[in-house]
Amino acid sequence: MALKTNMQAYRYIIRESGTKGQIKPKALTLFKKISDKFTLSLLLELMSEVQRKKYSDREKNDIFDNEFMPHIDSMYNFGYRLTFDEDDAKDLVQDTYLKAYRFINSFEQGTNAKAWLFRILKNSFINDYRKKSKQPAKVDYQEVETYYNSDDVDYGITTDLRVDAVKDMLGDEISNALNSLAVDFRTVIILCDLEGFTYEEMAKILDIPIGTVRSRLHRARNLLKEKLRSYAQNMGYKTDEEE
Amino acid sequence: MDKKSAASGDRKLTCEDVSKCFQLLESILDGENIPNSKEVIDEKLAKCAPCFQHYHLEQAIREVLKTKCTKQSTPAELVANIREKIQELK
Repeated sequence: MALKTNMQAYRYIIRESGTKGQIKPKALTLFKKISDKFTLSLLLELMSEVQRKKYSDREKNDIFDNEFMPHIDSMYNFGYRLTFDEDDAKDLVQDTYLKAYRFINSFEQGTNAKAWLFRILKNSFINDYRKKSKQPAKVDYQEVETYYNSDDVDYGITTDLRVDAVKDMLGDEISNALNSLAVDFRTVIILCDLEGFTYEEMAKILDIPIGTVRSRLHRARNLLKEKLRSYAQNMGYKTDEEE
Repeated sequence: MDKKSAASGDRKLTCEDVSKCFQLLESILDGENIPNSKEVIDEKLAKCAPCFQHYHLEQAIREVLKTKCTKQSTPAELVANIREKIQELK
């Protein structure tokens, strides 16, 4: 009886995930429920075998050329703004594209290739680059988030920055202001404002809940405004309300 | 009502729920699917000075970020290098 039930469950799982790519979370839960460790690992291996052969060489090249390569400028810009170094950015982007090719079978055609690539780049940056460059992450994100979590600091300080002052700023000033933000804050602004990702896409790229995306972005913008405000003051713009 | 001018005297000068309002306006600017977003904006910008200022400032910042921070030119050899490495993988 149990065997029969399990067979049905396995069929369901294979039908649900089979050749179509990654195993759905619901199927995986069921998988774990009915399998011992050995069976589980065997089945996962078999299924990834199926997945590995998903695309022919020709299809791989098509995907790579038509869906991945068109994003190279955005990828380089992201890499450069994370590392501030041309060579590091090149390495990071190259690594990302090589990984993308190697794991191309876990890419679902018709889904958002740009978001998929950005996620790989961001993970490569955290796992490889940050470790390689011995410098520790400049700011402990948790600390920053706690500090700016208070609504008190959110408003007031920056309300006197003028629209005209912002519009007149030079590319370098805007760029420097953005670059001066801690990497986690910088990242959300790049993803949202420079690259136009939705909150939902950002949540997937960064592996954080959508609510965190929203609040992190909001705080990042407030920090950016403070920077812009001090630039505006240096430019001689009156930042105080006119009498 | 003149939506473009900040000098309109009909707007209230303080916003009672500044945190919620600003986040809502920011979400709309970010293109999130907010129900009746057009009406929400019209209403807030017409009636509330802080919301009006915040909205236009946020809009200006997004604009300059988009136009002035995306011009990093990709090194010419990068694409060639990637293709070469991919050939080695095959």
